[in-house]
Amino acid sequence: MRGALPHALPENGGFLRVRFGEEMGTNDRKKIRNDVILAVVLLLLAAAAMLFWQLQKTEGDFAVVLIDGVETARYALDTDTEVEIITDGGGTNTLVIRDGEAFVETANCPDLVCAGHRAISRVGETIVCLPHKLVIKIAASTDAGGVDMAA
Amino acid sequence: MNKKRLAAWILALCLLGSLVSCQKQSGKTKYSAYYFDYFDTVTTVVGYADSKEEFDRVCESITAQMEEYHRLYTIYNRYAGLNNLHTVNDVDDGAHTVVQVDAKIMDLLLYGKEICTLTGGKTNIAMGSVLSIWHEYREAGMYDPAGAELPPMDALRAAAEHTDITQMILDTENNTVFLADPEMRLDVGAIAKGYAVEMVAQQLAAEGIGGYILNVGGNVRAIGSANGDPWSVGIENPDTEDTETPYIAYLHLSDAAVVTSGSYQRYYMVDGKNYHHIIDPETLMPGEKYLAVSVLCKDSALGDALSTALFLMDFEEGLALVESTADVEAMWTLPSGEQKYSSGFVAYTFTLEK
Ligand SMILES: [Zn+2]
Repeated sequence: MRGALPHALPENGGFLRVRFGEEMGTNDRKKIRNDVILAVVLLLLAAAAMLFWQLQKTEGDFAVVLIDGVETARYALDTDTEVEIITDGGGTNTLVIRDGEAFVETANCPDLVCAGHRAISRVGETIVCLPHKLVIKIAASTDAGGVDMAA
Repeated sequence: MNKKRLAAWILALCLLGSLVSCQKQSGKTKYSAYYFDYFDTVTTVVGYADSKEEFDRVCESITAQMEEYHRLYTIYNRYAGLNNLHTVNDVDDGAHTVVQVDAKIMDLLLYGKEICTLTGGKTNIAMGSVLSIWHEYREAGMYDPAGAELPPMDALRAAAEHTDITQMILDTENNTVFLADPEMRLDVGAIAKGYAVEMVAQQLAAEGIGGYILNVGGNVRAIGSANGDPWSVGIENPDTEDTETPYIAYLHLSDAAVVTSGSYQRYYMVDGKNYHHIIDPETLMPGEKYLAVSVLCKDSALGDALSTALFLMDFEEGLALVESTADVEAMWTLPSGEQKYSSGFVAYTFTLEK
C-alpha cells in the first residue's frame, strides 16, 4: 500500500496537470503544489492512523474452546461466565470469563499447566491442557492485530 | 478553475478513503488446526489457503509426516514391524543389538553427533540413562504431587557414567545403529521436535506450499510469509506469575524458525520448587541460569539443539556460540525477568501495544 502512493501522486503534480491540463500561471502552479503537499501529508497521516489502529486492535472478542482440535464452543469475552468443559475420558477444566479475560480456574489434569496459565484476552493467545487435548484460544470477529502464533 | 480544484480535492479524498478502508484482500483465508498425537506436545498449524479443503489437504500431509517422525523417534513406544529408537535402546541378554534403521533415524543421529560437538556436550542425545530417571520421577511426581521426590544423586551419577556419545556406533553403509555401552540409552528429546519440524517444512516448501507456520511444542517454523506479510510470533512470558505481560517479545519472521526452551514447559514440583526437564550434563540437575532461551534462525533443528545448549551455558559462553554461528540470534530471560539479546535479535522484534 505504501508503494502505491508515489504512483498516484507524482512529485511534480503531473497527475493534476494532465487531468486538468490547460495554461496555468505561476500562482496556480503554486496552489496546486500546495494542494499536492497537503494531499500527501493527509495520505501519510491516514496510513499512520490505519497502522496504529491495526496494532491497537489486539483484544479479542471470543474465547474459542477446541477439544482434540475440534471447536466445541465459543464464549463472548464481554459476558462474564463460568463453564465446566468436559473432555474425553472424564477430564474437566473450569473455564472462567471475567472482565474480558479468560482463564482456567481449576482442572483435574495431572500437570495443571492450564490452571497455572495467566488469563488471556488478546488475539492469538492460547491456553493448552495437553493431557485433556484442550485448547482455549482468543479470536476476534474481524481479522486484525494480535499474533499469528504464540510460543 | 475553482470547480476543477474542488473536483481534484474530491478525487483525492475518495482515493484517501479507499486507501483507509483497504484491508488485506487477497481471497485467501487464515485457518488453524491443533493436534495432540506427536512428541507428547501440541502441534499447531496456521496457514493461509484458498479454501478449507486446501488447508485440510496440507494439514493431512503435515500430520502424516509428523506421525512418521514421531513413531521413528519415540523412545516410549514400540510399533509392530518398525525399528525405532525404542528398538535401538532395547537390551537383549545384557547387551544392545545392531539395529537396522530408516534413513530418517540415521540422519537424526548423525545430526545429534554434530550438535554434541558444536555445543560442547551440552546437547547430548546419549544422555538417555540420566534423562530416563528424571522422566520417571517427574511422571510419578505429576500424578502424585504429595509424594513427589527428587531422583537420588547417586543413581544419577551412576547413570551419567554411560553417556559417551562415541559409544553410539553408526554404520552409514548398512544403515545400522549399535550402542556399544550396554547401559547407554538414547534420548533425542532435545533435537527431535525441531528436526522433524524442519524436515516437514522443507518438504512443504519443495512442494511449492507456502503461507504456513507450524509450532510443535515451542518449535516454531514459518514456511513462506503470512499472505505477503511476515508472521507475527509472540514469545510467551516464562514468568507465569506475571499476569500483565503475556509476551516478552514479538517477532516478525518469514521462512525462518524460532525455538524456545523454558523451565515452564515441562516440570514437576518438589517441596514447592519447580524441577523442569532441561538437565545439565554436568550437575545432572535442571539448569537454573534462565527462565527461557529463544533461538531465532533459519533451521528449526539447529534452533532446537541450540536453545537447549544455551539454556545450560553461561551467558558469555552462549553469546560467543551464537555470535560465531552464522544466521543465529538469541534471547535469554534471566530468573530476575531481565532479557539479554544477541547483537542482531532486536532487529526482528516489533511492538504490539495493548
Ligand atoms: Zn490441564
